[in-house]
Amino acid sequence: MKEITVAVAGQPNVGKSTFFNLLTKNRVLVANWPGVTVEKHEGFLEHRGYRIKLVDLPGVYGLSALTLEERISRSYILGGEADVIIALVDTTIPERTLYLPIQILEMFRNVVVAYTKYDMAHEMGIHINFDALEKRLGVPVVPVSAATGYGIEYLLDKVVEVAEKGGRRDYLRIDYGELEPFIESVERELAECEGLREYPSRWLAIRLLEGDEELSELLSEKCGGDVYRSFEEVRAEARKAVGRDISEFASAKRFSFIMSLAREAIVRARIPETKRARSLFYHPVIGMALSLTLLLSIFMLVFTVNTGFPLNTVLSLLGQEELARAVEEYSLSGLLEKGLGWLMDLARSSIANPLLASFVADGVIGGVASILAFLPLILIVMFVLSLVEDAGLLPRMAVGVSALTTKIGLSGNALFPITISLGCNVPGIMGARASLTAGERIRQILTLPLVPCQARLVVLLALATALRTLGGWLMVFTGYVAAFSAFVVLNYALYRLSRTREPTPEMLLEIPAYHKPLGKVVWWMTWNNVKHFLEKAGTIIFSSSVVVWALSSFTPTLTYTDDPSNSIAAEVSRLLAPAVYPFHVTGENAWMVVFGLLMGFVAKEVFVSSILTITGAPNMAEAVSVIGLTDAQLIAIGVFTTLYVPCLATLSTIYSETRSAKLTALSILLLMGTAYLISALVYYLLTLIP
Amino acid sequence: MLTLDNARPGARLRIVSVDGRGWVQRLYQMGLLPGSVVEVVANYGVGPVVLRVMGVEVAIGRGIARRIYVEEVKEG
Repeated sequence: MKEITVAVAGQPNVGKSTFFNLLTKNRVLVANWPGVTVEKHEGFLEHRGYRIKLVDLPGVYGLSALTLEERISRSYILGGEADVIIALVDTTIPERTLYLPIQILEMFRNVVVAYTKYDMAHEMGIHINFDALEKRLGVPVVPVSAATGYGIEYLLDKVVEVAEKGGRRDYLRIDYGELEPFIESVERELAECEGLREYPSRWLAIRLLEGDEELSELLSEKCGGDVYRSFEEVRAEARKAVGRDISEFASAKRFSFIMSLAREAIVRARIPETKRARSLFYHPVIGMALSLTLLLSIFMLVFTVNTGFPLNTVLSLLGQEELARAVEEYSLSGLLEKGLGWLMDLARSSIANPLLASFVADGVIGGVASILAFLPLILIVMFVLSLVEDAGLLPRMAVGVSALTTKIGLSGNALFPITISLGCNVPGIMGARASLTAGERIRQILTLPLVPCQARLVVLLALATALRTLGGWLMVFTGYVAAFSAFVVLNYALYRLSRTREPTPEMLLEIPAYHKPLGKVVWWMTWNNVKHFLEKAGTIIFSSSVVVWALSSFTPTLTYTDDPSNSIAAEVSRLLAPAVYPFHVTGENAWMVVFGLLMGFVAKEVFVSSILTITGAPNMAEAVSVIGLTDAQLIAIGVFTTLYVPCLATLSTIYSETRSAKLTALSILLLMGTAYLISALVYYLLTLIP
Repeated sequence: MLTLDNARPGARLRIVSVDGRGWVQRLYQMGLLPGSVVEVVANYGVGPVVLRVMGVEVAIGRGIARRIYVEEVKEG
C-alpha cells in the first residue's frame, strides 16, 4: 500500500485536536520534534488504497518563527516531508483563522483547506460560498464537522486527489502593494545565492523584509556578508517607502486579501449580537471571586475523590467517625494502597531467596507502585481541568485572576501551569512555555515546583495520621498555606529583582466561545498531560527506585542486609543528620528523618514508605514515636517535605526545559533555602502554642 | 491620543497604531493591527481589557493596551 504523509495545521482553538482525534480514532504515536521537547503527534488511517500518516503540527497563529512552536511548524512545512497539508479554518471565525492557511499557501502548494465546526455555522447565521473560495485559493476547500462527522470522507478524497495530482501550480500570490518592487529586488539577489535555493524565493524575500531573525541569520551565513549588507539597504529603503513597520504592513496586506475573499464568499444572515451579555468573569471583583470559588470547589471535589480529604475531616469534626473512615478507605488512594500492599506481601511470601524477594517486592513492585499509585490521582485532576478548559471556562478564569497574579509578576496565563501543577509538576513546568516573556517563563519554572502536587498531598495526609494533640487537618492546611505563600513570596521577590529589565507581565489570550465539552477532546487533553507524568516520572522514578532499593539493601561493604539501618543509605543519613537540627530533631534516631528525605528525593511519596521501613513501624504514628517527634516538629517536617528539592522527575524537566545546569542548580538552591526558612518559621510559631 | 486602556466598554474603535516589539507580531496574527475595527467588551480600569476582534474575544493586559492607539468609529 502506498503511504502519504499529511500534516494538519491550524490556529489554537480552531478544533484541531478534535479533528485529529477523530481522523486517527485516537490511535496516536507521540514523539518529540527533533532537538526540542515539544511533542509531535502522529496517527495512521487508510483511505482509497492509501496509508495516510497524519502529523499534528503545533497550534500557532502564524508562521513568523516567533515562538518555538512556530519555528517547528515552519521548518516542517519547508522541509517537504509532508505530501499534503490540511489547513484548518474555524467556520465560526472565518476571517481571523484563515490567516494561517494563507501563510501556508504562500510557501506550500499541496494544501486542502478544511472549514471546521461547520455544524455551528447555520445557527450562527454564517453562510460560506466554498466554490468561490476554492476558485480564489486554487486548492480544494471542504466544510467538515468533527461533532457530526460531516465532510470527513470527502475531505480525505480531496487529500488523496491532491497527493496524486498536486495542488496549486505556483505559490499563492498576495498583492503587497508598495512592497512589490522591493520583494522583486530581494528575489533577484537571492537568485544569485546558491545556499537558499530550497526555499520559495518570493516567500523568503517577504519574510526577510519583514525582519525575520532566523532567516536573516541564514541569509548572512549562506550567502555571505556582501549579499546581506545590500539586502539591509533594500530593507531600509522599503521601510521608508511603506512608511511603517514592514511586518505590520505585510500583515495588513494579508488581512486585506482575506477581507476581500470574505466580501466575496461569506454572508452573515444576522449581524452578530452586539449586545451579548458581558461575561461576569471580566469584572475585577466578581470575576476574581467567581474564579477563585470555582477553582477551590473543583479541587475540593478532586481531593475528596482521590484521598478522602477534606471530606473525612469535616465528617469526623461532625462526629461521623465511621463515615469519615469509609470515605478515606474507599478513596482512590486508599484502595490503591490496599491492592499494592497485597501484591508486595504476595511477592515476599512466594519467593524463597530473600535477596530476590526483597528486590521484587521493594525494588520493582515498590517502584511501579509509586508510579501507579499516582496515576489515577493525577488522571482525575487533569480530567477535571481539561473539562473546565474545553468548556471555555479556564481562559475566563485566567482573566478573573489576572489582577491578582500581575502583582507577583505573573500574567493571568500562569493559571494554566499552576493548576496543572496541582496534579503533577512535570506537565506544569512544561506549560510555562506559554508565557509571553522569557523572564516570566524562567520565574514560573523556578517557582512551580512549590505548588504541591498529589504526591505531596499524600505525604501530608500520611503524616497527619501521626499527630497526637493537634488536629490532622492542621497538617494539610499548614502544608498548603506554606507552599502557596512560598510560591507567592518567591515570585514576588524574583519579579522585583528583575524589575529593572522586566516590564509588567502581560496577558494576551484568546477567549474561545463556551461550548459543551466533547468527551473525546477532554480525554485527549487529559491523556496528554498524564502522559508527561508517565514518561518522565515513569522512567525516572522506576529506575531510581531500583537504585534506592540497592542503597538501602546493601551495607557499605556491599553485602546484602535485610536491616536497612546497616545500609549505605543509613550511613549517609547518619552523616547528614544535622540537616534536621533546625527543627530540634536531635535524638539518636534523627537520621531516620534524613533517610526519608533522601529517599523522598526520588519521588516525594517514597518518604512515607521509607520512614516506615527504616523505623520498622507498622504505621506512621508508631514510626514517629520511634524517632521521637513532637507535633510541631512533625508539621515542620511535613512542610519541609512539601517544599524541599522537587522530585527527580521535576528536576530533570527543569533541566530539559531550560537546558541550563546553572538554572537547575539555582532552582535546587532556592527551593532548599525556601524550605528551611519556611518550615523553621512554622516550627517556631507552633512551639509558641502551649 | 486615545489608548486602548482608556477606552469605554461598548465602544467601537479603529486601531491607529501599535507601539512595541516582540508581542506585536502576535497582535498582528490575531488581527489586531492598524486599520482593524474592534469592540471593547470589558474594561474596568484594572485587569485586562477584553476586546472583540473579527468575532473573537481577546484579553489584553493593560501594559499592552496602553501601547495600542485607537480612535472612535463614527456610527452610520
